[in-house]
Amino acid sequence: MVAQSVDKTLDCKGLSCPMPIVRTKKAIEEIQPGQVLEVLATDPGSVADVKSWANRTGHQLIGTTQEGDVFKHYIRKADPNEQKPEAKHPHVVSNEELLQKLEKEPVILDVREPMEYAFGHIPGAKSVPLGQLEETLRELQHLTNQEVYVVCRSGHRSDAACQILTRKGFSNVKNVVPGMSGWSGPLEKITK
Amino acid sequence: MTKRVAIIASNGGLETAYKVLNIATAAAATDAEVAIFFTFDALSIIHKDAANLLTMGAGKEHYVEGFKKANVPSISELLDIAKESGVKLIACQMTMDVVGLTKEHFIDGIEVGGAATFLDFAYDADVTVTF
Repeated sequence: MVAQSVDKTLDCKGLSCPMPIVRTKKAIEEIQPGQVLEVLATDPGSVADVKSWANRTGHQLIGTTQEGDVFKHYIRKADPNEQKPEAKHPHVVSNEELLQKLEKEPVILDVREPMEYAFGHIPGAKSVPLGQLEETLRELQHLTNQEVYVVCRSGHRSDAACQILTRKGFSNVKNVVPGMSGWSGPLEKITK
Repeated sequence: MTKRVAIIASNGGLETAYKVLNIATAAAATDAEVAIFFTFDALSIIHKDAANLLTMGAGKEHYVEGFKKANVPSISELLDIAKESGVKLIACQMTMDVVGLTKEHFIDGIEVGGAATFLDFAYDADVTVTF
């Protein structure tokens, strides 16, 4: 198993209910959608509480491990668009349309996690995980007026990425749907 | 869909204060809208002098040591968290009139209202709890 990288660690060791939940809520507001929060807690009640909390708030509890008397909870922040699907980026292209344009070497941003990218991506696609998109914007400035194709697994994260890019002044951004889950074209892999 | 939690606190004492504020802050952390209506003895929970007014009832002294051991946050800490996370704290006007308290006796950030003020919020509540 490849370890999922942690974007933020919250230390709730020694704190009792309701503090682990209260702090978790605060910490999750400080990270980006798709990023992973690690919560360290010694309160055994946190095991059930974090689970219920995640269930309620829509964030994904990836899992909990225990080391000695410390519980480690891993939570992936949900994209607000996962809960509000009505706001969609209006410009989409199908996998087939992109496939036909592939030999012209279009600009493709793959916004999945590095691990997903490593296991297979469209040749020439640049890896920009959704959670790091905003901080990578500077490197992408030269693309603001170019045609940019954004791809993920199902079209969901790429939709969010398209909306972010459009808000930041990118004028010709297209969401590739459904994305890698239905991709039949060539694949490039990164293997160790 | 945001859940709404309406809490009525009518008893005093440190124990009640913890029950009320634990539920309130946990609910707020879970993205719920929360309002607490403080009436009768529970007004001591939001009193500026809460530290001295809130005591453990006779025979429950063992809790005090337990609280310290379990590193439970203080009431004023929990009140700060509650306010910060948008919990509405409503003091009962009628009780205040009866016992001669004014808004100045209470911590900052509270509202004063009557039963209708609370009911206005509670009518649309998904959960109602009484302490």
